[in-house]
Amino acid sequence: MTEAQTEQKRVLLGEGLFTPTEPGVDGQIIATHCKSCGDYFFPRSFTCHNPECDEKDVEDVALSPTGIVDTYSDMSYPPPPPYVVKKEDWVPTPVVSVKMPEGIHIIGMMDECKPEEVSIGMEVQTVIRVLYTNKSGEELVGWKFRKV
Amino acid sequence: MDDIAIIGVGLHPWGKFPEKFWTNMASDAIYMALKDAGITWKDIQIVVSGSQNWGGRKGIYAGSYIDEVMGYTGVPTMNINNACATGGTCIAVAAAMVASGQADIVLAVAADKSAKGFFPFLPPYHEEPVPADDTMRWLMGLPNPVYWALECRKKMEKYGITDDHLAMVKVATSKHGAINPAARYKKEFTREEVLASPMVCNPLRLFEICATSDGAGAVILCNAKKAKQFTSKPVHIVGSGLGSPLYGDPTTRIPVLGFEPKEGMPIISESWVAARSAFKDAGMGPEDIDFVEVPDNSSWHYFQYLETMGFFEEGTAHLALERGETMIGGKLPVCPSGGFSSFGEATMAQGFAQVYEMVLQLRGECGQRQVQGAKVGMSEVYGMAGNNAALILKN
Repeated sequence: MTEAQTEQKRVLLGEGLFTPTEPGVDGQIIATHCKSCGDYFFPRSFTCHNPECDEKDVEDVALSPTGIVDTYSDMSYPPPPPYVVKKEDWVPTPVVSVKMPEGIHIIGMMDECKPEEVSIGMEVQTVIRVLYTNKSGEELVGWKFRKV
Repeated sequence: MDDIAIIGVGLHPWGKFPEKFWTNMASDAIYMALKDAGITWKDIQIVVSGSQNWGGRKGIYAGSYIDEVMGYTGVPTMNINNACATGGTCIAVAAAMVASGQADIVLAVAADKSAKGFFPFLPPYHEEPVPADDTMRWLMGLPNPVYWALECRKKMEKYGITDDHLAMVKVATSKHGAINPAARYKKEFTREEVLASPMVCNPLRLFEICATSDGAGAVILCNAKKAKQFTSKPVHIVGSGLGSPLYGDPTTRIPVLGFEPKEGMPIISESWVAARSAFKDAGMGPEDIDFVEVPDNSSWHYFQYLETMGFFEEGTAHLALERGETMIGGKLPVCPSGGFSSFGEATMAQGFAQVYEMVLQLRGECGQRQVQGAKVGMSEVYGMAGNNAALILKN
């Protein structure tokens, strides 16, 4: 087998949504910030969604790397398709809504964390991870959160 | 709104009907409603139909295919999709058509066949340059109930709501459903049985989340001045309201992945908007309502809708449930039909199940589960992405 054949293909959950794009490291969410009204939007947008804002002068910015858990749940059941996981391999995984210092809340799964380890008010770090290998055999790269 | 009457209702049973196509379920509901009103298909002047997510191209134009099986008569036909609030929306739009004088007799109808378990992912045909949150959340493994669970956990911690309270919602709704011949699940659940059901998305357990279902319903609306010639028991639509969210709504709404809550904004603001719009339309307030059908998609919904609609202060609906106030015979019977917990969610059609129950209650035809002296009923139906339809009916 040649080297090219063994190389694992990767695909991002979306372009320009988080940085860096290499999995396995701490990272940041990229959101759209309206310079006119100050509000943030995620996924990033071509415009400001605030109906009170007339200027709508937007830029993409990296959010703070850490935030506070505003609320949590967990996927006790294995997630349905297109998520790829064998039913027997699934372990209940926490899902968190994280309040970033900028005021925007970002939702994601926790990495390497049991449901009982999560609580409202805890600090978490944005991380870039391979979520799973998709049906096409590509590693899907997205964001998660980890305990600080 | 005070000059619209419901003269006929029909409801296809809820359940799984693999042998039956949804056009057939819709036509069954329509024939039942026509019979109830004492009219024929040819008397219908406008069709307002729910369009559906799971029926492919045919489902998008559901009303057009319902016209086909009923027999084309050339009537204006609308296909409406407001997610799971579609049923309520169809009836509200049909009411507006009658109120505006566009027609005297209007049919609202919807049928749905939903998948088992979690609703399936519907991939977009054209993806956006930045993938939609509703695409990414599926890829990330976040189905609908996890959104409800996130809100539920926050509410529990804030107001001291317990797992017992969540279970008691199912106990309460199943008690009503058990005595409703139209309900799909007629079993009364105990708190222990609910608490023993598997966790789906913590803190929500399997029996605290409504099932998915097939179902269909039809409602025939008429100019109230002409209603007497069809029925001796017209039920009037006195208020209706549709809602979309307010900017800065703090709810973890399906399918958001990022949102910025603003101070003072109501949770599920689309419900807040629709309820207030319906109350204003009717010249009424929560105190005038004798019973309510809320969208009890989960135990969280039951509490949150009762509060957001204005029946209880924020963070107190679980105490009212504890006191038995939300049972038939209590101060404000909630979901006397048994709710979605006893029917299952036939997404586009479920608003019709609520209105079917309200009409039977207001005609005094509910037997064992009759809300004594019921004069005014209200319903709200919840749809993803910030859809809501509220209706107030009076006998």
